[in-house]
Amino acid sequence: MGKSSKKNKVILAPPLPPEVDDEDIIVSDEDVDFVEENREHVHLITGLNRKALDKVVTRVPDHDEDKVELLYEERERKRRAALALKPKDDDDLEVDPVDALPVKTLQGELLYRTAKRARSEDKAKGAESKSDDKDADAKQSSQKECKGRSNKKEDSKLQNVQRPLEIPKEKLHSVVLEEVKEELSADELFEKKKAQLAELGMAMLEDPESNIRSLNDLLIICNDTDQRVVKLAIMSLLAVFRDIIPSYRIRQLTEKELAVEVSKEVKKTRYYEYTLIRSYKAYLQKLISLEKQPYFYLVAVRCLCSLLDAAPHFNHRESLLASVVKNLSSSNDVARKLCSEAIRSLFRNEGKHRGEATVEAVRLISASVKLNDCQLHPDVIEVCLSLKFDEDLGKDESKEEKLKPKKNKRYQNRDVTKPSEKKKIKKELLSKARQEVHADLRAVSFTLDPKEKKMIQRETLAALFETYFRILKHSMNTSNSRYKATSVFPGGSHPLLAPCLEGLGKFSHLIDLDFMSELIACLKKLSGYTDHQGEIPPDNTLSVSERLQCCIVAFKVWRSNLEALNVDLQDFFVQFYNLILEYRPDRDRGEVLADALKTLLWEGKQQDMLRAAAFIKRLATFALSFGSAEAIAALITLKHLLQKNTKCRNMLENDAGGGSLSSLVAKYDPEAKDPYLSGALATVLWELSLLQKHYDETVSGMASNILSMANLNATQNPVQLSSSNPLEAYKDLSMGRELSKPTHKVSQTLKSKRKRRSKEFVALSPDVLEKADCTVGEDELREKLQNHFVVLRGISENERLRTELNHALSSINMYKEYNKQKKESKKSKKKVAKA
Amino acid sequence: MRPLDEKETTMVFEKLFKFTGPNLKHLLERPSVEGPDPEPGRYCLRLHKNRVFYASESLVRRATAVSRTRLAGVGTPIGKFTHGGAFHLTVHALDLLAAHARRRIWLKPDTERSFLFGNSVPKSALARITENTKSGDGVVVMSMADVPLGFGVAARGAQDCRKADTNAVVVLHQSDAGEYLRKEEELM
Repeated sequence: MGKSSKKNKVILAPPLPPEVDDEDIIVSDEDVDFVEENREHVHLITGLNRKALDKVVTRVPDHDEDKVELLYEERERKRRAALALKPKDDDDLEVDPVDALPVKTLQGELLYRTAKRARSEDKAKGAESKSDDKDADAKQSSQKECKGRSNKKEDSKLQNVQRPLEIPKEKLHSVVLEEVKEELSADELFEKKKAQLAELGMAMLEDPESNIRSLNDLLIICNDTDQRVVKLAIMSLLAVFRDIIPSYRIRQLTEKELAVEVSKEVKKTRYYEYTLIRSYKAYLQKLISLEKQPYFYLVAVRCLCSLLDAAPHFNHRESLLASVVKNLSSSNDVARKLCSEAIRSLFRNEGKHRGEATVEAVRLISASVKLNDCQLHPDVIEVCLSLKFDEDLGKDESKEEKLKPKKNKRYQNRDVTKPSEKKKIKKELLSKARQEVHADLRAVSFTLDPKEKKMIQRETLAALFETYFRILKHSMNTSNSRYKATSVFPGGSHPLLAPCLEGLGKFSHLIDLDFMSELIACLKKLSGYTDHQGEIPPDNTLSVSERLQCCIVAFKVWRSNLEALNVDLQDFFVQFYNLILEYRPDRDRGEVLADALKTLLWEGKQQDMLRAAAFIKRLATFALSFGSAEAIAALITLKHLLQKNTKCRNMLENDAGGGSLSSLVAKYDPEAKDPYLSGALATVLWELSLLQKHYDETVSGMASNILSMANLNATQNPVQLSSSNPLEAYKDLSMGRELSKPTHKVSQTLKSKRKRRSKEFVALSPDVLEKADCTVGEDELREKLQNHFVVLRGISENERLRTELNHALSSINMYKEYNKQKKESKKSKKKVAKA
Repeated sequence: MRPLDEKETTMVFEKLFKFTGPNLKHLLERPSVEGPDPEPGRYCLRLHKNRVFYASESLVRRATAVSRTRLAGVGTPIGKFTHGGAFHLTVHALDLLAAHARRRIWLKPDTERSFLFGNSVPKSALARITENTKSGDGVVVMSMADVPLGFGVAARGAQDCRKADTNAVVVLHQSDAGEYLRKEEELM
């Protein structure tokens, strides 16, 4: 407005048309019809605030009211003079044919005014106008602020034009809304709000730039009292944000930038971005606050997750990440799954955010693990398995870095020796320009320069390993102090250990060698190995599968790091040898055992003969006592061991004894803790001939295959090395077992019988064993099955009764409460009556 | 021939413990298979002419019938006390140690000969080493075919071996199977 005052010419508003009585205006039937048809548009006209309009229309920018007054008077005088020339009476202002015509304002409204009225009003309004102005400007002020110094005339004009329109519209809106609220029932209100939301959302999606302010309206709806509406509002905001969030991060403008005058378009975009960020932040805060209410919990979490998925690069990522990571260990399965999926996709699509979010997420996870003392859901750590690192990350860059400065020095020296200043300056300029270009290019393209990428990955890795080591250490401490935490999460007192070990196995090639010995010592302790075998092992709270995993990880770590030096992990072999005995098919995870067989025995390069013999014997016994899947895994390993250690094939011969072969132990000791002292070479693999009669064809086939090796020369390698490894074989067969469940159950009962007797077995001859198997008659089987089903039926019956009982109890409680309330209400009524 | 006194027992056990660790218990408690007794006896240590013998109890009982001057030895000799009073393991103990040792190293096939001539084991000869070997531990040296060749003391641990020079000594030689030829007189 200030600018317009520079111009000396004063533009006066056009004279107002004279006031015409409503009765005087003739309305055609057509018009009436039109109005009837378009009722909804009428509110615009009915809500016109004449005063406000007058004020705007008749006001002249930046002139003193008095001056304006004078000008008006002058004009009026002139007009009167002109009128005087005509025969009509001029003093009576009522009818002026020209003025009687309606005037179309800039908004296309038709106005009927008398000039006199306008003038008198103008006078009266002098005082009011300022305060009114303020009210009207309140909404615009924010706009102005962000636009910076929008001192263009056009702008002010635009605002002038907009203002009269908005005021009535809003007022009307609220009025109508209130009325509607009273009238409509709750359902209709809900429908209406839904429609409103849809409208706003559609408008946003159609043209986000111009409709950016309706984000605010949407946010306001989020505070509605109706929970369903809030839910819908959140969801629609999510859709809108997902769509309109730009693919870049909006940064805060610096003071300098704000000071510089910018073009209209830039201003517009700045305003747009500013509003977007503000409402985005408000939305996030709303979500985070809603997350605490159980009703909105899932919706809020879903919104947070999909926002993180869609816009990991955008502003306010930190709070978003923090809340998602927090929910990783929530007790709600669905929420947890959502969060872990979101984080996983964050890790997988690093191109979206250049890896920065990954570092933050891993750090947050690390912090939360530290904060909660490792008592979290395993999903928190499992997520990290989908992290990706470059293969050559572990290699040191220091050599390259060392080389570079030397070269530079040499160049510098040369430059000094050839003092051609001009060339030097030119060179510097060139290099400077090149650097700038590179920087620009990097900023534009989303790719990271390899060095930076390496930096980020290294930081991620450091945070990750910190977490892993913390978990290891924690589980070590607690197992030593025999501290048994009653935890709500599955996996005993160390819920995080299993995924942690898995992660260590996966990233084993990236572990620094300096940590190695400590890590191995830690794993050894965790796997339950003690130096003093005679003593009772300490009360280890880890399960068998976890201990097996420790062994596997130790092997993987060594193999991937120390290929050059062949190290024999004897202690872990000893531990594994003992753990095989502790395995129970239903309690422990068979895959882990098969994996252990694969990593420790099947893939191992070389085996000690004594140790191999001990393992062969133990695996044969093992295969006899468990299901077909475990048996096949064990047999494949056994065969592999026999193929590699030709001397061990003596065990396939039928005559026992002769254990003197470099061993001091003459007799096989099945319970020996140390494979070296078991004297396995002195025994015979009679288990194989039993296994030949196994009910499973694959197992029996494999057993006879192994037995055929005895007839071959020691130097000959009989059958080609079987292609499948123990793990695969185990998975294949266990899949088959799932499919044929009923038959499996029968075999299981048989198996359990065998298991119970397995201790007696060892000393018995094969014949006795076979007899024992045959005695399991049909009758016994039937009886067992009957018992089983009786128990099952009992359990289901019990469950049904329990639910009924719960139901009855709850209804009784409800009735009691109802009675209480009734009494209270009666009392209060009485009181009122007394009063 | 007499049982070892307390001081001597400590010295012998300390030496053996370096190799066997907690397996030392198995060394003495394993049931013997010698003799006609239905109940298997234990093994014990006896001192005779400054040499320490490892023999089953039944054998020791029978050996008492032989006069001290006439008795050349009983069971397996495992070491001797020097004039200075120190105890040294001899190569005879190799089988016993190999069965019970906790740390082993395996030699590359072409370097076995050098070790059997009485040299220490350099890193270049090392084919495999038991993890968590520390310097000062007793180790049994094996060929790749798992035949025990001798024993010695580790000069550096498994971890340090990685960084060591190829010529650096990994195992200090104490005794090897070649001594049966080189020191035949001394051993008998």
